[in-house]
Amino acid sequence: MPDMDVLPPPPEVAGLRLDGTDAYVISAQENDALCRSTGIAPADDGTAHPIYYYVATQVAMGKTVAGLCAACDFDVDDGPMMGSSEVRFSTPLRTGLPYTVSGEVLSLERKRSRKLGVMDVLTYRLRLHGPEGGAALETDNVWVLPRRELA
Amino acid sequence: MTYAVGDELPPFIIDHVDPEAMKEWAIFLADPNQIHLDVEFVKAKGLGDRVINQGPINIAYMMNCLLSAFPGGQIANMTSRFLDNVYGGERIVAKATVDAIEGGKVTCSVRLDSEDRGMVNSATATIVLPPSQSSATSAEQVGNQTPNNPLSWLTWLLYPKA
Repeated sequence: MPDMDVLPPPPEVAGLRLDGTDAYVISAQENDALCRSTGIAPADDGTAHPIYYYVATQVAMGKTVAGLCAACDFDVDDGPMMGSSEVRFSTPLRTGLPYTVSGEVLSLERKRSRKLGVMDVLTYRLRLHGPEGGAALETDNVWVLPRRELA
Repeated sequence: MTYAVGDELPPFIIDHVDPEAMKEWAIFLADPNQIHLDVEFVKAKGLGDRVINQGPINIAYMMNCLLSAFPGGQIANMTSRFLDNVYGGERIVAKATVDAIEGGKVTCSVRLDSEDRGMVNSATATIVLPPSQSSATSAEQVGNQTPNNPLSWLTWLLYPKA
C-alpha cells in the first residue's frame, strides 16, 4: 500500500459551481408517488415530502451525478457512496412552484480508510431557491469516492 | 400522544424494501445507477446479491417516523449519516428518541435499523411543531396522542390534560 505522502493529490475541484439552469417543479402527482413509495400518504396542504430537499437539488443542479463524479475524475460506475447529508430548511417545500438551484463544491479530500482503502471525500453545498428568489433550504452532502486503484 | 424528553416515538416500519420503488426513485433522482436496478450488476461489482436502496429513500423513512409522530410538524433541519446499505427485500425500522423540547421545536435522535444487520443510518433532526402542539412545550411535553413509556403513561393516566 503506498504511503500517504506518495499518493497523488485529488483533482482541484473546490469552488466548482453547481448552479442549475432550469427550474424544478415538484408535481403533485410525483409527490404522491414518492410519498407512497416510502410508506406514507402525501400531505393534503400542498406541502411536498421534505426529502425533496435532496431530490430537487440533485436533479436541478448544474451537473448530473455522473457529471459531478467525472469532475472529480471518478467513474460513477465505480460506486460513489453517500457519507452524510445535512439540510437546513427556511420554508417547507410545496408542489407546483418553480425552484432553482445554486451551489458549489466545498472540498475534495483524499483519505485512507481501514475499510475502503484510499478514498476521496467530496463535500458540496446546494441551495434551493423559491420563486421569490430566497433560499428555501441549504444542504451539504458528503460523498465517498473509493479509489481502489490507489489502494 | 404526548411526548417528553427521553421518550421513544412510535417506530416507522417498512416490512419489505421494494425493488420496484427503487425503479421509481431512479426516475425521481434522474440517476439510473444500476446498483439500484440490476442484481447482476450488483453481483458483478462485488456489492452483494440484492439491489441497493437509494440513500435518500433511507432518509425519507427516518423523516416519515418524525412526520407520523408529529402530524402537521415541519422538519427544520436534519443531519443524516450513512453507515451501511439497505437492500431490496429487507425489513427496516426507523426509530426516534426525543432529545429536547424548546420553543415549539422538538429535537430527536433518529436511527434506521435493518432487522438482520442492525443500524444502517443515524440522524439528528429538529421539528417545528404546529401551534396546536407547540403550546404544550412549556411543560416539556408535546404531541396529541398517548405516551409510549411507562412513566409517561402513568403521568398521562393521572393527568390526561397535562
